[in-house]
Amino acid sequence: MEPVIRVENLAKRFRIYHQRSETLKEVLVDRRRSRYEEFWAVNDISFDVPEGETFGIIGANGSGKSTLLKCIAGILVPDRGKVSVRGRMASLLEVGAGFHPDYSGRENIYLNGAILGLPRRYINSVIDEIVGFAELEQFIDNPVRNYSSGMYTRLGFSIAIHMDPDVLLIDEVLAVGDESFQRRCMDHIEGMRREGRTLIFVSHAAETVRKLCDRCLWIDHGVQRAAGRTGEVVDAYIGEVNRHETELLRSISADLGGSGPGWMGVRIAGVEVSGSDGDFNSIRTGEELSIRIAYEAPGPLRGVRFRASFYPAGQDILLSTRTDDAELGRLDLPPEGTATLTIPQVPFLDGVYGLKVEIEDITSGRQYAEVDRPQAFRVQGGRRFEVGLALLGHSWEIPAADPSALKVSATG
Amino acid sequence: MASTQALSGPGSASRPRAPQSGPIARRLELLSELVRRDVRARYHGSVLGIGWTLINPLVFMLVYAVVFGDIIGIKGPSGKSYAVFILSGLLAWTFFSQALVMAASSIIANSGVVRKVAFPWMLLTVSSVIAALVNFLISLVLLVPFMILAKAPVGLPLLAIPPLVVVTFGLCLGLGLMLAAGSVYFRDLQYLINLATMIWFYLTPVIWPFTRYEGFFRHGTVGLLAHIVVYANPMTWIVLSFQDVFVFNRWPQHWHGLIYCTVLAAGLIWLGMRVFRRLRRRFAEEI
Repeated sequence: MEPVIRVENLAKRFRIYHQRSETLKEVLVDRRRSRYEEFWAVNDISFDVPEGETFGIIGANGSGKSTLLKCIAGILVPDRGKVSVRGRMASLLEVGAGFHPDYSGRENIYLNGAILGLPRRYINSVIDEIVGFAELEQFIDNPVRNYSSGMYTRLGFSIAIHMDPDVLLIDEVLAVGDESFQRRCMDHIEGMRREGRTLIFVSHAAETVRKLCDRCLWIDHGVQRAAGRTGEVVDAYIGEVNRHETELLRSISADLGGSGPGWMGVRIAGVEVSGSDGDFNSIRTGEELSIRIAYEAPGPLRGVRFRASFYPAGQDILLSTRTDDAELGRLDLPPEGTATLTIPQVPFLDGVYGLKVEIEDITSGRQYAEVDRPQAFRVQGGRRFEVGLALLGHSWEIPAADPSALKVSATG
Repeated sequence: MASTQALSGPGSASRPRAPQSGPIARRLELLSELVRRDVRARYHGSVLGIGWTLINPLVFMLVYAVVFGDIIGIKGPSGKSYAVFILSGLLAWTFFSQALVMAASSIIANSGVVRKVAFPWMLLTVSSVIAALVNFLISLVLLVPFMILAKAPVGLPLLAIPPLVVVTFGLCLGLGLMLAAGSVYFRDLQYLINLATMIWFYLTPVIWPFTRYEGFFRHGTVGLLAHIVVYANPMTWIVLSFQDVFVFNRWPQHWHGLIYCTVLAAGLIWLGMRVFRRLRRRFAEEI
């Protein structure tokens, strides 16, 4: 049988403008031509999706997944190759379908229906369901520009699935919205699969793709890396992602390097982070972390202190600690040496952390030397649902299970 | 709760499939949805609503009648009311200029939809021109009581209005398609068209009676230039025909001009569609 979706040697080229002549002055007075570079966002992709299949497209951010999906949806016109789709197609691209911000949710439902080719009377018959599923009963007559992104997504998803499409294209949307809505969406997608609808699902989340898709395609920088059974393709993709991450971590060397000579010729000769793994700076939450700071000075140092600050990449300081806080007071130091800071149990959760090390004069606060590395080390850990910056010691107390309630759930 | 709701949806229940309209019905349904939206959007949230459709040209008419008629001293056709004269041309002109301005922004204003959904985007432009047409028709209906008040004769030549409207619509659509597609690549076009219609207005015999100034076009270089511009301007012939009907209660006199307009309208639609089809390929990227 003919596949529902057939993509043949599809390629799409984008222009990246460096200087764009957009205004009249630029075009007429400056006689400036737009300067742009072209690049292939998607190149030479081919695949078929038979009826009733759930097909996944995975790849890192910026790999061309969304471009590919937009070509299938007919929004972008490919520069080479062909796309053919049989049947009614609905798509959920990024957040929300194409809504007009000034019109109410209700008007947008009718408009979307008309765009998808559904008669008005059909929409009349399902509009309550659409609104109900999106949980927007109270807001449906307000302009969608006042909607939150969650409301926007819920409405978009609800419209798309109630339009009864033969082919549904979904782009990452399930990442938004609260958990209960996500679960209902998944139930729906599951139901559509059982009914034999064709789905194309785009995501960078390998596990979602593994759970949902029969077959999938992995694209990388616009090029087809692998296609076939989901298990194999996803394994290959995860393998690559891990390799990539390892490389990134290796580039964060244990030796953070030193600084040039600062005030009075004092310099930090080197900072070393030691984690659990000798190879690179990866530390697990709860393990010991030590930081060794080697310094050099032209002569003995009097009245100084060390300071070390930790911060998650690009954010505020999480912890800043000084030797004078540790009741070491004024430090008088030999011309060279090494100070070591030890954190017995690292509370930080998953992420890359920055480290700033300083030697300061204790009376004036003036800095002798500093080393600041925004990507100093990586922490891996936390249990599955623990997110945030730091793990706090904690315990839970819950009421004992009611025996009768247990019985009901066991029989029901 | 959540799971029962999910079960009642189309995803799992075996409900009949949604009906699918044919390609033409589908476009018509979409177009009517878009027009409904465009017409409503225009007066959305305004107190007087559709009343503005009439108030606008009436106020302009008053201003023009006072400034050009009383202060500057332009005379209408002999024995005819200058106010009725201005109004009849002004209505046709308002339709034309409003359609162009609305069409020029029709694609850009819908960028959210164009970026996300593929459908015949040309309908957005068609709808904007139809919305201008609807406004025009409303103002036309409201004009009749005014004409009776102003004791203007009304008769059989009114039958010439529908074909005139069709030709004007064609001119608007052809130009509008080019403007709509062009504006996506060149945003200034939207603002330029405002400026252009303002100048164009004075080159069209709306406030000055064509017959009084016809002689001027025969003399000198300036006269010759003006002659070319005014005669090539399709709106000259449309406006003159409206004046024939509403001011003089006679059939349009300038048949040659109207034939020219009809041919031009057909040509512009053909060209407009070609331009639009070519430029639409990169709408979603450029918008």
